[in-house]
Amino acid sequence: MHLIKRPDKEVQALAQALVAAKQKVGFCKICFHLSAEPVCSICNNQNRDRSTVCVVGDSRDVIALEKTREYRGLYHVLGGVISPMDGIGPEQLNIEALVRRVTKESVEEIILAISPSVEGETTTLYINGLLRPFTKVTRIAFGLPMGGDLEYADEVTLARALEGRRELD
Amino acid sequence: MYLKKLHLRSFRNYVDRQVEFTAKKTILVGNNAQGKSNLLEAVELLATLKSHRTSRDRELVLDTATASQIEAIVERTHSTNELSIIFRKQGRRTVAVNRENLRRQLDFLGVLNAVQFSSLDLDLVRGAPETRRNWLDGLLIQLEPVYSNILQQYNQVLRQRNALLKKIRAVRQDDPNGSIDSFEPQLRLWDEQLAAAGSRVTRRRARVVARLDPIARRWHQKISGETELLEVKYLPNVEWTEDEPSKVQRAFLTRIEERRIAEQYQGKTVVGTHRDELEFAINETPARHYGSQGQQRTLVLALKLAELKLIEEVIGEPPLLLLDDVLAELDPNRQKQLLEVIGDRFQTIITTTHINSFNQNWIKDSQILKVQAGTIITAFL
Ligand SMILES: Nc1ncnc2c1ncn2[C@@H]1O[C@H](COP(=O)(O)OP(=O)(O)O)[C@@H](O)[C@H]1O
Ligand SMILES: [Mg+2]
Ligand SMILES: [Zn+2]
Repeated sequence: MHLIKRPDKEVQALAQALVAAKQKVGFCKICFHLSAEPVCSICNNQNRDRSTVCVVGDSRDVIALEKTREYRGLYHVLGGVISPMDGIGPEQLNIEALVRRVTKESVEEIILAISPSVEGETTTLYINGLLRPFTKVTRIAFGLPMGGDLEYADEVTLARALEGRRELD
Repeated sequence: MYLKKLHLRSFRNYVDRQVEFTAKKTILVGNNAQGKSNLLEAVELLATLKSHRTSRDRELVLDTATASQIEAIVERTHSTNELSIIFRKQGRRTVAVNRENLRRQLDFLGVLNAVQFSSLDLDLVRGAPETRRNWLDGLLIQLEPVYSNILQQYNQVLRQRNALLKKIRAVRQDDPNGSIDSFEPQLRLWDEQLAAAGSRVTRRRARVVARLDPIARRWHQKISGETELLEVKYLPNVEWTEDEPSKVQRAFLTRIEERRIAEQYQGKTVVGTHRDELEFAINETPARHYGSQGQQRTLVLALKLAELKLIEEVIGEPPLLLLDDVLAELDPNRQKQLLEVIGDRFQTIITTTHINSFNQNWIKDSQILKVQAGTIITAFL
C-alpha cells in the first residue's frame, strides 16, 4: 500500500475504518467470509447465482476472486487447509457446514479454488471425496506454479483459471 | 560459461571486495581461515542457491552487518547475465537476474552451473546415504531446475504425513483399542500425495544415474589404469521397473500398504525416496567396504568428472569447476589427468594453502590471487 503518498486525511479515514471494522468484524454464518453482519453482502446479494459455490481457503481468496469480476456465484471459506503439522484436520475447518449446504440447498456446482500447495491439494481431494456423491465438483485450472497463492495471482490469471476449470475424478 | 566478475558485500568475512577473473584458471592462495572457501561458497550459491556448509542465511552475513550481497557477471555463449542475491540476517532472500527481482527462486537457477570438489567429498564414499542423495539431488537441480520444486514438494508431503502418523501413534498409545478410523480418509490422501511426489523424484534420480554411470565408469577406468570397474547403482527404497508415472505410483502404494502397521507403530513414513540409496561398487564390491583412501579419492574424482561432463552435455556449455583444497591432495599423476580433462574449456577456481606442490602446468596459465583476511590481491610469483 502506498500510504506514504496519500493525504493525511485519507489515511486517517482509513485508520478509523480499520478500527471500526476490527471491532465489528466476524464471520458470515453461511459462507464464513469476513463480515460485519451475520450474513455477508455476497450471500445477501439476490443477483448472485445461488447454484454455484466456490470453495476457498480463506477470506483473502474471496477478495482476490471478487476482483476478477468474472464470478457471479457464492463462496464458502474453509478457514485454512488440512495441515497435520499445524494440528489442522478436516474437523478444524468449515467442512461440515459445507456438506450441510450442499445437501440442503440446491447447489449444482462446487468449484474448488484452494491454493495449489500440497496441503491445498490434500484438502481439494478430501472435499471432492465428500461432495462427489451429491453434486458436480470442479476445480479451477491453475496456470499457477504449485506452491503459488491465489492472493498473489494476477487477475487475468485467476479469471482464466476460473474459465478453464475442470471436473475432478 | 565464464564467471567474469564477482562482487561480495558483507558476505562472510568480506566487507566489500570485487574480483575480476582474467584467466580460465584462478588459484586462490592463502593461509587457513582467510576467506578462500568463502569465495567458492559464493559461487556455489550463485549456481545452486544452496551452500553445502550451511542452510542458515544468517551465517552468510558479515558479523557486523544485517544483510549481504553477491553480485556476478556471467558470460555464456549467447548472453551475458548479471546475477544478484541478497541474504538477510532476518527475512527472505532476494534474487535478481539482470536487475529484475524474481518472485520464484527457480527462475534464478540455471544461469550459472558449477561443480564443487573439496576434501569433504570423500564423505560421498564413506558417509551416510543422505550425503549421496544430497549430491545426486544437487546435480539434478542443475540439470533440471524444476527438480528443486519437486523435491520441496516431496519433503513437505513427508513432513505432513509424518505429523499425521505421529498423531495416529499418540492416539493408539492413549488407548490401544481405540479407533483410528477417523484418520483413514486423510491418511489415504497423504499416501497418494507421497506416491505422486515420490514417483517424480525416483524417476528423475533413476534417469540421471543411468546417464552418469557410464561416464563415471570411463573416467574411473582411465584414472585407475583400466584395472578397476566402477558401477554407480541407484537403489530406490521403492522398487519399480517400468518408467511410467502411474505404474511407479502403484508400486509406492503397494509398498505403503505392506508397511502400514510398521508406519503406524513407528509414527513416521518408512516408505519413500528419503530412504533411497546410491551405491558405488568397484569390481562388484561396495566402495564403502573397499579400498584405501587413495582408491576412494580416485572414485570421488571420477564421480566429479562425470558430474562435470554430464552438466556440459545437458546444458551445452562447460560448467565451472571449484576445487577447494583438493588439488594438493592428489598425487602428480591424478593432478595431470585432471588438468588434461579441464584443458582450456572449464573455468576452474582452485584454493590452496601451498602452491609449491602443484604441477607447473597448473600454474603456468593461471591467474594467481592472494587471499588474506577478507582481502584479495593479485600475486606475482
Ligand atoms: N558471517 C561471518 N562474518 C565474519 N567472518 C566470518 C563469517 N563467516 C565466516 N567468517 C570467517 O571466515 C573465515 C573462514 O573463511 P574460509 O573461507 O572458510 O577460510 P579458508 O581461507 O581457510 O578457506 C574465518 O576466519 C571465519 O571466522
Ligand atoms: Mg577452506
Ligand atoms: Zn456469506
